Amino acid sequence: MKTTLVLIARRLGTAVVTLLLVSVVVFTISSLLPGDAAEETLGRNATPEAVAALRTKLGLDQPAHLRYLHWLGGLLSGNPGQSMANNLPVKDVIASRLPKSLLLAGLTTIVSVPLALLIGILSAMYRGSMLDRVLSLVTLSMVAVPEFLVATVAVLVFAVNLRWLPALTIVPENATLGEFLSAYAMPVMTLCFVIVAQMARMTRAAMIDQIGQPYVEMAILKGVRPARAVLTHVLPNAVGPIVNAVALSLSYLLGGAIIVETIFNYPGIASLMVDAVTSRDMPLLQACAMIFCLAYLLLVLVADICAILGNPRLRNQ
Amino acid sequence: MSNGRPATVAVSRRDALGTMVGAGFVAMAGGAIAQPVAAETPKRGGRIRVAGMSSSTADTLDPARGSLSTDYTRHYMLYSGLTQYDEHLKPQLALAESIETRDRVLWTIKLRKDVSFHDGSSLTASDVVYSLMRHKIPAMASKAATIATQFQEAKAVGPLEVQIQLIGPNADLPSILAASHFLVVKDGTVDFQTANGTGPYICKDFKPGVRTVATRNANYWKSGRPYLDEIELIGIPDEVSRVNALLSGDVQLIIAINPRSIRRIRSIQGFVVQETPSGLYTNLIMRQDAEPTSDPNFVLAMKHLFDRDLIQKAVFRGFATIANDHPIPPSNPYYLQDLPVRTYDPDRAKFLLQKAGLLNVRLPMYASPAAEESVDIGSVLQEAAANIGLTLAVNRVPADGYWSNHWMKHPLSFGNTNPRPTADLIFGQFYKSDAPWNESGWKNAQFDQLLLAARGEADEVKRKQMYGDMQLLVHEYCGVGLPVFISLMDAHDQRLKGYGSIPLGGLMGYMFAEHVWLDS
Amino acid sequence: MTQAAAPIATDKAVATSGLRRAGQFLMALPLSGMIGLGIVVFWLLTAVFGPMLAPYAPGAIVASDVFDPFSARNLLGSDYLGRDVLSRLLHGARYTVGLAFAAALLASITGTGLALTAAVSGRWIDEVMSRMMDALISIPSKIFALVMVAAFGSSVPLLLLIAAITYVPGAYRIARSLAVNLNQMEYVQVAVARGEGRVYISCAEVLPNMIHPMLTDFGMRFVFAVLLLSGMSFLGLGVQPPDADLGSLVRENISGLGEGAPALIMPAIAIATLTVGVNLFIDSLSRSRRTMGEV
Repeated sequence: MKTTLVLIARRLGTAVVTLLLVSVVVFTISSLLPGDAAEETLGRNATPEAVAALRTKLGLDQPAHLRYLHWLGGLLSGNPGQSMANNLPVKDVIASRLPKSLLLAGLTTIVSVPLALLIGILSAMYRGSMLDRVLSLVTLSMVAVPEFLVATVAVLVFAVNLRWLPALTIVPENATLGEFLSAYAMPVMTLCFVIVAQMARMTRAAMIDQIGQPYVEMAILKGVRPARAVLTHVLPNAVGPIVNAVALSLSYLLGGAIIVETIFNYPGIASLMVDAVTSRDMPLLQACAMIFCLAYLLLVLVADICAILGNPRLRNQ
Repeated sequence: MSNGRPATVAVSRRDALGTMVGAGFVAMAGGAIAQPVAAETPKRGGRIRVAGMSSSTADTLDPARGSLSTDYTRHYMLYSGLTQYDEHLKPQLALAESIETRDRVLWTIKLRKDVSFHDGSSLTASDVVYSLMRHKIPAMASKAATIATQFQEAKAVGPLEVQIQLIGPNADLPSILAASHFLVVKDGTVDFQTANGTGPYICKDFKPGVRTVATRNANYWKSGRPYLDEIELIGIPDEVSRVNALLSGDVQLIIAINPRSIRRIRSIQGFVVQETPSGLYTNLIMRQDAEPTSDPNFVLAMKHLFDRDLIQKAVFRGFATIANDHPIPPSNPYYLQDLPVRTYDPDRAKFLLQKAGLLNVRLPMYASPAAEESVDIGSVLQEAAANIGLTLAVNRVPADGYWSNHWMKHPLSFGNTNPRPTADLIFGQFYKSDAPWNESGWKNAQFDQLLLAARGEADEVKRKQMYGDMQLLVHEYCGVGLPVFISLMDAHDQRLKGYGSIPLGGLMGYMFAEHVWLDS
Repeated sequence: MTQAAAPIATDKAVATSGLRRAGQFLMALPLSGMIGLGIVVFWLLTAVFGPMLAPYAPGAIVASDVFDPFSARNLLGSDYLGRDVLSRLLHGARYTVGLAFAAALLASITGTGLALTAAVSGRWIDEVMSRMMDALISIPSKIFALVMVAAFGSSVPLLLLIAAITYVPGAYRIARSLAVNLNQMEYVQVAVARGEGRVYISCAEVLPNMIHPMLTDFGMRFVFAVLLLSGMSFLGLGVQPPDADLGSLVRENISGLGEGAPALIMPAIAIATLTVGVNLFIDSLSRSRRTMGEV
């Protein structure tokens, strides 16, 4: 328990360092982008005078390091700035999109994680059997098809031909549970296609590695039922790699959902970040990057805590 | 025409100009735009969802900053202009009751009485003055800033009367005023968090990059209109998703369908495809201030390398009109009929390139999804060039940043130009030697003289002759290869009625909102 | 111990013996492994010799209609412009196979190497490296690709770099968690007690036991690299025309989906067989090694 608390405290400290690192990286690579917010806003109408005027207005006439420090200072005092594209506070823009992304990610997690663990554990327990091969082939095939194709085929079948589900994820106000679920069915399914395979395969591999260990054979020789051996002996020891794979896969759900957001016209945070890149909207871009980084760090922290709690050796270190 | 006023004959601009010269004075009578499809009596009520092409955080409620089709559509929904385009792209009076000028420099505009903004205040001359002059303030970041440089001054000369002083004669002012950027906003508005216009719909909810919801304006100045209770405008950038959304019934009207989707849409009952031949084009730009594209032999060779029939057939599936290396579409009254269309002639191209000593060079050619179908047009050109030994490397670059970093910046790049209501506007903005968007950097004194002379020419026959000469000059010498004009393709639910064509752009020239109704 | 050392012994055996051992190796593969190997070899050959076999140039418009079905003239039909699908597929395979393979390999090797270094080094190096990886991994890959292509223009080396950078942190994390777990194992502790050096421990004791899961991970990284490339094609990023990688072929013909055009289905099948094949082979490889080791 003490290790866990120490870990959390330490992680909080390193999280700040990581976030700072991300903000520098994002600022640096985005300053490599051709053009700036003023030029993008004006587009083809960018006369030198208009660009200069808009740059002054947006504060883009200052040197890069000053702009970064200014942004950082704002962030530390709780103000991530104004969006350059539409002059709305970044806070408001994020607040209108983030809950949507979290909802989609949450629903996908609820469906995908149990599914992946089930597939992984079953394949490992019946390694080499027909079931194992079928499951392996199915999960592989799921991930082997480009995401946009899965989504488009799903829309074609379930929305256009059968008309069971809406083609766009638009949830009406005061939606019933049925409407809510049918709106999210296809995006969640598409995302599951992408992330289940990785989690299931890593679960299977980690489990098999442990099943091969002498202590498991010993347990079985002692007369422990295989299913029980797997759950009480193997799973805790395999938990490290498994939760790591799960954390990695889940971190995909916020930023990686761009294709799903585009095809189902879902106003999430990934498309917001693409907009920010396209319009060279630095404050918005930074805010998105910060959120993705925070979400990732949180997932990793949870994964590491699970790993420590699962592995007695690490726990007692 | 149930706008509560006696229906008057709409005077076309050309007729009006004739009158002006004869009498030294022109008055455009008030009139409503003719309903393109008026076979049935429109019904009131209903709600539709419309999918535009794009939607991002840069979406705006400020007409001056509109830069994409979804913006224009939103603005025409919420605001009205002094004039508006009809189905032939001729300007008809809207908020203006009359537009008068003696010399095409000083214009007097009388406004309609009893027009009110969505917040209940009345339209006055000061609103119009503000709406026009704010484009000259750089910090407004207006997209029409270059056009607005023509406005010397605009001032209120009465509560409902505005005087506009231009820097030089321009007969096209009524056309210019119908553009979405010059839609009328309330005097002094700088914060466009919501829209306060005089348009057919009132802004109810606006979330940039998500949606715009607008409800019927019961006090719209065209009485009886609009017909629908509510319109929701969203953007679906992915074309396949857009078509699927229509076919699944989630949206009732979509813009810009791919010609390859038409077969599919038509195979399903209940949907209508609306084709609008237009002046929209994607062109190859050969910079005249760079090597080797400034070589006249090279320019001519490239124009002969365009297999126009193949481009029309393969890239656009026939939904395009063959163009002749100048920007005036066949539907324009000034179109030069007698000029034979330049043929696909690889042998001649090869000969010209050999003459210029440019046959075995490798040239990068910049294309982008930002310029409609330029990647595919480029691919067709690339293949034709490869067959005669010229290596054109298509360099596809992302849409963002294309206009500021690649367009006109390389010896070979692609441009894309939306339809313009008049020949003068397109020539003046893109082909005049000192035009801001003189894409190829082409300088031709004869062309410039003709353009200025045509603005002041009263005799229609002579004027047509002049525009014909200009087309010939561009066709022969300008560093722009222009293979086809692209048709605008929209699709809608069969129950949506009143939908027609205004060849300015998709969605009825972005102005569908006040025309359509639902037959449930 | 015997089990841990087995894969290395097998490796050496395979390398030193001739065709006979190779044959034995093949025979030891389960059926799925042979199928996988067959598919992998097929795609490797296609990547190398494909362009020579293509009946038409990849950019040539040869059919009068778009989305034609299978025909004698165009074996796999025509695409959205009327180009020959077979030719485009044969030209495009090398981009997907080559880029994804190189990127996955680069990412796995770099990730494993860094992870081992981190696992056996002191806490500070481990800490610094892990934070840097965290920073990198938390930037969404497709958006990273979008920025890089916008900044530097699309080219094959850049695409390779993007895919490799994207997947290094993932491989690093998996490898590091494996290495940390292995470090607690008795035989590693014994080696430490024996006074073995760090390098020896990582190479001889830790690495061999990571190979199986890392190979599985490599297989998935390969799949992800293929999918990242096709995902990038959705955003309009990819190799320059007239060539196209397999993902771009699917993407550019997506409007043929309603008509079931081979122009869309064939490249999709190509991607599926490629990724499934690679993984079948890798799966069976680790399985057969085990069996051979036990024999």
